[in-house]
Amino acid sequence: MEERYTLKKSNPALKVLVYILLVVWAFINLFPIYFMFTFSLKSNEEIFGKNVVGLPREWLWSNYSSAMNTGNMGLYFVNSVFVTAISILISIVAAMMATYALTRIKWRGANFTNAFFMLGLTIPLQASIVPVYVILSKLHWLNHYSTLIIPYAAFTLSMSILICTGFMVDIPYDLDEAARIDGCGLWGTFIKIIVPLLKPAYATIGIYAFLQCWNEFMFANVFISDKQHRTLPVGIKALSGAYTTDWGPIGAALVIATFPTLIVYIFLSRRIQESFIAGAVKG
Amino acid sequence: MAENNKKSKNKNYRKGLDIFLFLLPAILLFVGILIAPIAVSVYRSFQKWNGFSPGTFIGFKNYKDLFTSGSIHFMPALKNALIIAFFSVFVQLPFSLLLALLLGRKYKGERFFLTVFFMPVLISTVVIGQLWLKIYNPDYGILNRALIGLGLSNWTHVWVGDPKTAMGSVVVPTIWQFIGYHMLLMYAGVKGVSPDLREAAMLDGATNWQVDRYVVIPIIKPIIRTSVIFAVTGSLKTYDLVRIITNAGPTHKTEVPSTLLEDMLFLRNRYGMGSTISVMLIILCFAFALAISAVFKEKEY
Amino acid sequence: MKMKRVVSTVLAGVMAFSLAACGGAAPAAPAAPEAAPAEEAPAEEAPAEEAPAEEEPAEEAPAESASSDEAITLNMWCIATESDSNRHSYEAAIADMEKLYPNITLNWEAFENESYKTKIKAAVSADEMPDIFFTWSCAFLGDFVNAGKVYCLDDVYQNYKSELPEVMLGNSTYEGKHYGVPLTMNIVGLFANMDLLKEAGYDEIPGTYDEFIKCCDDLKAKGIIPFGCAGKETWCVTEYLESIIEKSIGADELNDVFVNGATWNNQGIADAVDTFQEMISKEYFDPAGIGLTNDEVKANFMDGKYAFYMNGTWNCADFAANDAFKDKVKVAEFPVIDSSKSKLGQLIGGPSDTLAVAASSPNAEKAAEYAMELGKYICHYGYLDGCGLPAWTPYGDTSSINPLTQAVSEICANAETYVLFGDTAMTADDASVYLDYVAQVYGSEIDGAGFIEGLASDLR
Repeated sequence: MEERYTLKKSNPALKVLVYILLVVWAFINLFPIYFMFTFSLKSNEEIFGKNVVGLPREWLWSNYSSAMNTGNMGLYFVNSVFVTAISILISIVAAMMATYALTRIKWRGANFTNAFFMLGLTIPLQASIVPVYVILSKLHWLNHYSTLIIPYAAFTLSMSILICTGFMVDIPYDLDEAARIDGCGLWGTFIKIIVPLLKPAYATIGIYAFLQCWNEFMFANVFISDKQHRTLPVGIKALSGAYTTDWGPIGAALVIATFPTLIVYIFLSRRIQESFIAGAVKG
Repeated sequence: MAENNKKSKNKNYRKGLDIFLFLLPAILLFVGILIAPIAVSVYRSFQKWNGFSPGTFIGFKNYKDLFTSGSIHFMPALKNALIIAFFSVFVQLPFSLLLALLLGRKYKGERFFLTVFFMPVLISTVVIGQLWLKIYNPDYGILNRALIGLGLSNWTHVWVGDPKTAMGSVVVPTIWQFIGYHMLLMYAGVKGVSPDLREAAMLDGATNWQVDRYVVIPIIKPIIRTSVIFAVTGSLKTYDLVRIITNAGPTHKTEVPSTLLEDMLFLRNRYGMGSTISVMLIILCFAFALAISAVFKEKEY
Repeated sequence: MKMKRVVSTVLAGVMAFSLAACGGAAPAAPAAPEAAPAEEAPAEEAPAEEAPAEEEPAEEAPAESASSDEAITLNMWCIATESDSNRHSYEAAIADMEKLYPNITLNWEAFENESYKTKIKAAVSADEMPDIFFTWSCAFLGDFVNAGKVYCLDDVYQNYKSELPEVMLGNSTYEGKHYGVPLTMNIVGLFANMDLLKEAGYDEIPGTYDEFIKCCDDLKAKGIIPFGCAGKETWCVTEYLESIIEKSIGADELNDVFVNGATWNNQGIADAVDTFQEMISKEYFDPAGIGLTNDEVKANFMDGKYAFYMNGTWNCADFAANDAFKDKVKVAEFPVIDSSKSKLGQLIGGPSDTLAVAASSPNAEKAAEYAMELGKYICHYGYLDGCGLPAWTPYGDTSSINPLTQAVSEICANAETYVLFGDTAMTADDASVYLDYVAQVYGSEIDGAGFIEGLASDLR
C-alpha cells in the first residue's frame, strides 16, 4: 500500500547497506543454532578442543538416545510444556484484568497500585526460594504441577502487566465510551472490546512469559523432588555428573528442549504480524 | 485524556467492587508468592542466621557490613551490574530500536529477519554460555585465532581469566543475547503505528528517518520505557551468563549482586547477609524503575 | 569448627591415633550466641530421636517404631545422577538392599551436584528433608548437626564396628557422636601422562622434589607444558596448593591450621605459597588454565597437552575407561619438598561423601540401620568400579579393579596421615574466604606473605 512512498524516498546505496547489516546480523544470530546442533552430536574430545565449531567428525546420534532413555527427557518435556502453558495462561488472564482496572478505570490509587506491581520486576528469584518453599511446605503443597505453576504465574505477572499496559493505552478511549453508550458495564467493555483488541498482546506476553518459565531452574530444583513432576531444566542439569560431565547428551537434551520452542516461535511470530495487520484499523 | 468516565455517584460503590474483582487474581498471586517472601527477607536481613539454626537479631549490622566490609564485595558487584546496565541502555537498546525501526519499514524478508533476530533469546543460556566460552578459549578460541591471523598476536588474552578483560567478556554476550528481546518488544510497537500516519507524513515530504524520529518514536515511547526498565532491572539481576562464563571470577572481578546473593544464601550459609543483599537489590531495582518512569513522564510534556 | 585429623592406615582398617572429629559449634563467629550445639541428648535416650535442638519442628514421635516388620517407605536424596560415575554403585547397592529388606521400599532421587547444595539446605530450612540424604562430611554436615536436624547414629553403629573402622567416622563425628555413614574416600593424586614424560627422558614419575623440578624443566625444554590447573574452579587450585603446603610444612601443622584453629600466620605456609607461585612464574602451568573449567583442563590433559594433572582420585575411573588414554597414565604421590618437616605418606584427602539420616524422619531408627547397610554396599560397589577408595573394610574379590585405583590403594596403604581438603574441613563461610585467597594466589595478585596475613586477619 504505502510501498510506493517508501520506494520513492529510498536511497539505493543506503538500502544495500541496510541489507548487509541485516544479513550479517542474521548470520550472527543463526550461528548458535548451528553450534548447538553440531554440539549435540559430538563427543567431549571434539567439544573441548579437537573440533569446536566444525561439523562432527563422528555423528553421535547415540547422544540423543542416551538423553531420551537415561535422562527421561520425554516426560520432562511434557511436564515443562504443561507447567509453562498453564502458568502463561494464568499470567495473561490475571494481567489483563489487573491492567484493565489500572489503566482504563479512573480511580485514586491506580498509579500507586501500578507501582506496587512493578515491585515484581525487582525481586531476585534466589531470595524467594526459601520463604516460598517454607510457605508451600506448610501448606503441604510440594511435588505437584501447581507447586511450580502458581509461583511462575506470580513471577511473570509484573512483566505481563507492564507489557499489557503498553498495548492497552494504545486502544482509543473513545471505544470504551462507545461501548458504555451501548450499555456495556465495565465487565462487558472488558470482554467485548478490550480482550479482542488485545490479541496482539497475547502473543507478546506469551513469548516473554514463556522465556521466564521454560528455562526456570532454581524453583524447579528445590520445590520438586520426584521424577514424575520434574521439568526440563532440572532434568538437563541432572545429566552432569559430580566430577565429570559428558556434554554430548546435554547438547542433545538442549536441542530437544529448544527446537520445538523455535518452531512454535516461528509460528507465533507470524501470528504477531498478522494480528498487527488486522489490528491496523485503530489509531 | 478521556477524563469523563465519571458517572453518577451511586455507581461508585459498584465501581469499587469491580476494580477490586479485576485486581483480585493478580493481588492474590502477587502477595502470596512475591510480597510475603520479601517480608521474610526484610525480617531476616536484620539477623545473623545460617539458614537452619535459630537466628540472632543484630540490627543494621548486615547493612553496615554490606557497604563497609571489603570481604563481602557488594559495592564492586553493584558497580559491575551498573556497567552492564549502562551498556544495556546505551548500546543494546539503541541497536534494538534501530533493528525494530528498519524491520518496521517493510523490507523484503522482514518476517525472516524478525524471527532470526529473536532466536538467541530462545536458546538456553547454557548453550549461549558454552558458545562464548569457545569463542574466548585461549587455545582454540575464535577470538584469539582471529587476532593471530590478523597479525595481532600480542593482543591475545586469556579473556575470561584476565582481570582486565573478564568484565568485557561478560558484557558482550549479555548485551548480544537480549538485543532480540528488546527488538521484538519495540517492533510490536512500531507495527502498531497506523500505516495511515506514516503515509500522511510521507506525503508531506518526510523521509523515513524523519517519520521514525517524529512519528514512530513518540508513539512507542511507553514501550521504550518498558524496555529501559527491563534492561536496567534485568542488568541488576544478571546471573546466568556470569555464572557460566566467568563464574564471577577471577577473584570477584565479575561478581554481580545475584551471584553474591546466591553464594551468601546457599554456599556460605550467611542467610541473614543474603537477605540483606536481596532487600538492597529490591530497593535499588525499584528506585531505578521509578526514576526511569519519572524521566519518561517528564519528557512527555 | 574443630576437627581432628583422620589418621590411619586405611586399607588395613587398622585404627591408629586418636580421633575426635568435626565436633561442636564453630567458635569463629564473633558475638553470635552459638546455635545450640547439637544438643546432648539425655544419656542413653531411647534411640528414636536425636533431640532437635530448637524450634520444635513438630516431629511426630515414631510411636510405633517398635513393630519392626511392618512395611515402610524411606525417601533418599543423593547426587548419583544418571551420568555420575557413582550411579552404578548406587543401583547395584539398592538392588541388593531390596532383597535384604523386603519390607522397606526406598524412593530415591538424584540431583546435580551444585544445585543439590541449594536443595538440601532449603530442605533443612523448611524441615522437608528426606529420611536419608547425601551430604559432605565435616563442615557441611556439621551445620545441620548443630541445628539438631540430623539423627545420631551411635546406637546403630555398634552393630557395624567390625566392618567400618571408627577412624573413618572422624569427619562425621561431632562432640563425640557419630552422624554420618561414610561411603568412598578420595585423595589428591599426581596423574602423569607417561608418553610425554618419556619424550623428556623419564620412565617413571620422579620421586624426589629436585628430580621433579628437573623433570618439569626438561618437559619445558621439549615444549611440553608440565601442569594444567583450572582457575575458574578454585577447588582445582587447592588440589595443587594444599599438596605443596603439606609437603613443605608437614601434615600435622597444616591440619592444625585447617581445623584446630592454629594461626594462618605461618611462615612455612607463606614459603610454600611462594614455591607454588615460583612454579607459575617459571611457566610450569598452562597460562590459559586461569580461564578454564576443570572439564576443559581434564580434556586437555587426556588430549596430551599437559604432562601432569593433580586432582582427586575419583578421576581414576574415567581415565581407566578411556581406551586411548588408560595405558599412558600413571598416578603417584606429590614428592616431599621439605623432608625435615614432611615425608611421603602424608596425603590430602579423606572420606567426604556421606549418608545421613534426618532427625525429623518418622522412621529414623530403621532409616539409620538402612543407611548403614546401604552405605556399606555403595562403598563396596564404588570401590569395584574405581570411583574411589573404600571407607569400609573391603570384602570379596577386588582383583578386577582398574590398575590406577589399585595404585592409589597402594599409596594409601602406606599412608600415615590424611589432611582433609581445606574447603571441606572449614565452615562454609571460612572456606569461601579461603578459596578467595587461593584464587588470588593463582592469579598472582598476592604472594605468600599476603596470603597468610589476609587469612590470619579474615579468619581468626
